Amino acid sequence: MMENQGNAIIEIQNVSKVYRSRGALFGVRAKDVVALRQVSLKIYKGEIFGLVGESGSGKTTVGRLIVGLEEITSGEIFLDQENVTGLKGKALKAFRRKVQMIFQDPYQSLNPQRSVLDTVSEPLSIHRVGRSADRKEMAHKVLKSVGLSPPEAFFYRYPHRLSGGQRQRVAIARAMVLNPEFVIADEPTSMLDASISAQIFNILLKMRSTFHVTQMFITHSLAAARYLCDRIAVIYRGQVMEVGSGETIIRNPRHPYTQALIDALPKFKGSGEIKQYGTLLIEEREVNGEPMGCPFYPRCTVAEIRCEREIPGLRMLEEGHYVACFNV
Amino acid sequence: MALLEVEDLCIDYKTKNGYLKAVDGVSFSLERGASLGFVGESGCGKTTIGMGLMGMLPPNGVVRRGRILFEGEDLLRVSAEEMRRVRWRKIAMIFQAAMNALNPVQRVGEQVAEAMLVHNPSLGKEKALKAVEELFELVGLQTDRIRDYPHQYSGGMKQRAIIAMSLACRPSLIIADEPTTALDVIVQDQILAEIRALQKEFNIGIIFISHDISIVADMCHDIGIMYAGQLVEYGPREDVFDSPAHPYTRALLSSFPTLTGKRTDLVPIAGETPDLVHPPEGCRFYDRCQEQIPACREKVSRWVAISPGHKALCCRCEMDGR
Ligand SMILES: Nc1ncnc2c1ncn2[C@@H]1O[C@H](COP(=O)(O)OP(=O)(O)O)[C@@H](O)[C@H]1O
Ligand SMILES: Nc1ncnc2c1ncn2[C@@H]1O[C@H](COP(=O)(O)OP(=O)(O)O)[C@@H](O)[C@H]1O
Ligand code: SF4
Ligand SMILES: [Mg+2]
Ligand SMILES: [Mg+2]
Repeated sequence: MMENQGNAIIEIQNVSKVYRSRGALFGVRAKDVVALRQVSLKIYKGEIFGLVGESGSGKTTVGRLIVGLEEITSGEIFLDQENVTGLKGKALKAFRRKVQMIFQDPYQSLNPQRSVLDTVSEPLSIHRVGRSADRKEMAHKVLKSVGLSPPEAFFYRYPHRLSGGQRQRVAIARAMVLNPEFVIADEPTSMLDASISAQIFNILLKMRSTFHVTQMFITHSLAAARYLCDRIAVIYRGQVMEVGSGETIIRNPRHPYTQALIDALPKFKGSGEIKQYGTLLIEEREVNGEPMGCPFYPRCTVAEIRCEREIPGLRMLEEGHYVACFNV
Repeated sequence: MALLEVEDLCIDYKTKNGYLKAVDGVSFSLERGASLGFVGESGCGKTTIGMGLMGMLPPNGVVRRGRILFEGEDLLRVSAEEMRRVRWRKIAMIFQAAMNALNPVQRVGEQVAEAMLVHNPSLGKEKALKAVEELFELVGLQTDRIRDYPHQYSGGMKQRAIIAMSLACRPSLIIADEPTTALDVIVQDQILAEIRALQKEFNIGIIFISHDISIVADMCHDIGIMYAGQLVEYGPREDVFDSPAHPYTRALLSSFPTLTGKRTDLVPIAGETPDLVHPPEGCRFYDRCQEQIPACREKVSRWVAISPGHKALCCRCEMDGR
């Protein structure tokens, strides 16, 4: 994809992920789940890259594959041009220092038995960074940078005494304490209220401007992605449908699925400026046999015959704008 | 006569630290077939209002004061027996996360029929099942899915079934508590369109509860903005969104990312909501407010009329006469 746009920090090439069924549960053989199919993305140094899709579209799987929490079925992942697919042992540990993930639910991702100070300094001890006093100092600094101040007042608190927003700040601090190159934030505000979400967005923006950390922001909200991200990829049923700058995706979406997403957003302040596209079929179209074509085919008003049988690949429409649709 | 008129409703929860003032001095009214939306962040009292209207508060919840006039009758003064005649038959509620509460081992159609029979036993099972067919058609579910189990339904279908249940007795008021919060935007859009159409067809009054301003803006004629147990601004949708008066409304609007707003306009609200067991004496938003003046903390805020039907509970608004 985009070649001469600076250095890719993370590149994923033709990545697929199949969750194999565990076999004969209740006598019914469950089907394998193809969570991702031939996904390729490049994330450039210093950018915040948005991955937008509905629930079940494969967003978390992309994140978990990148950080090595999940085994890849096929394809390759590169960090700074180095192949990091399927790392094990020491190499994986070294990699984890550079790449971190923040999870959706701060009520589950923080260990309830650990104080804030322990939570934030644990990665430092795992990676044997500094002595105990240095670690406290580093934890202090990073807690301050996520707006938990004075940090001392939070050091010995446990998660149950923190609000959702404060927990997510602790999770960000924990991810940032090792000074990683790349951070994946997986729907970090989906459990939080709007006013608190905006606080978290601004912290992520600050992480970029002060620590220059490259980020992938996973969300189901186009509006949130547009606010935070330089570029956005729209994913549907495990496939990337469209990639472009935030402004392009909102103002000039070309994939019928992206257009349907924009149509479906509740009309609100200033949304009169947003076009309506009408690309969503009211009644799903019947698919003959195994679905094997474009994932949006059953719902697409502009589908052609070959959309049912062939999978459209991402094509460049203009510099930096890619669409996976035969009809564009 | 308004369908519903609520006056000075106050609801407390008894907790080990004292009484938590979950709803404090809330008044509003709703005409037949009209729609009113309550927006506010979690914990501001939206669900409590709904449960209060239904007479379904948890055991530690008490109505401290107020009147709930439904079709002219004060529901807070009627017997439990009479309340049973109103609940579900005249006022129905779509509970937050209700679709996850469907019984997994019972067919969806039977669950809807049962909902109908509980309130109208004389109907008989056969007629009830027949009525379920109509309800399914009404909410856009295929009737050949009546005998399916919940796990065979998608999220959107389950939510449609829940809506069908709420319609079972043809109520004149439906309280919809975050009915689309767990759904993706495309399904959400379809469900909202469905609710709008049904409302129109049967002239149902709707109270729509959501933390998402954009949904309420899209769905409701009148809007109530809630903060920490109080209504702080109330009025027609255009007035509230185009000329918000209360600093909290303004802050809430600017913390909400939109597709077209300037990116720099997104401003979080610093701080967190106050403790409702010991709420501040003066304005409850005082600590987080960008426009505070000393008077805000010292005296209890009063309602200020902004324009006909549009009012705000704010000391600063009163002072500035805005
Ligand atoms: N551990 C797993 N086993 C089986 N299927 C899974 C597993 N994790 C995810 N999936 C499936 O993979 C698909 C993508 O899931 P996910 O990446 O979590 O989507 P998203 O984060 O976009 O909601 C879904 O169909 C989901 O059910
Ligand atoms: N059963 C209960 N006991 C004690 N406090 C409760 C109970 N239910 C709700 N609350 C409290 O009452 C306030 C209002 O809650 P709720 O009506 O659920 O708000 P919302 O629906 O706006 O999120 C919150 O502070 C909440 O913690
Ligand atoms: S009353 Fe004062 S503190 Fe409260 S919102 Fe108005 S200006 Fe702010
Ligand atoms: Mg996910
Ligand atoms: Mg609620």
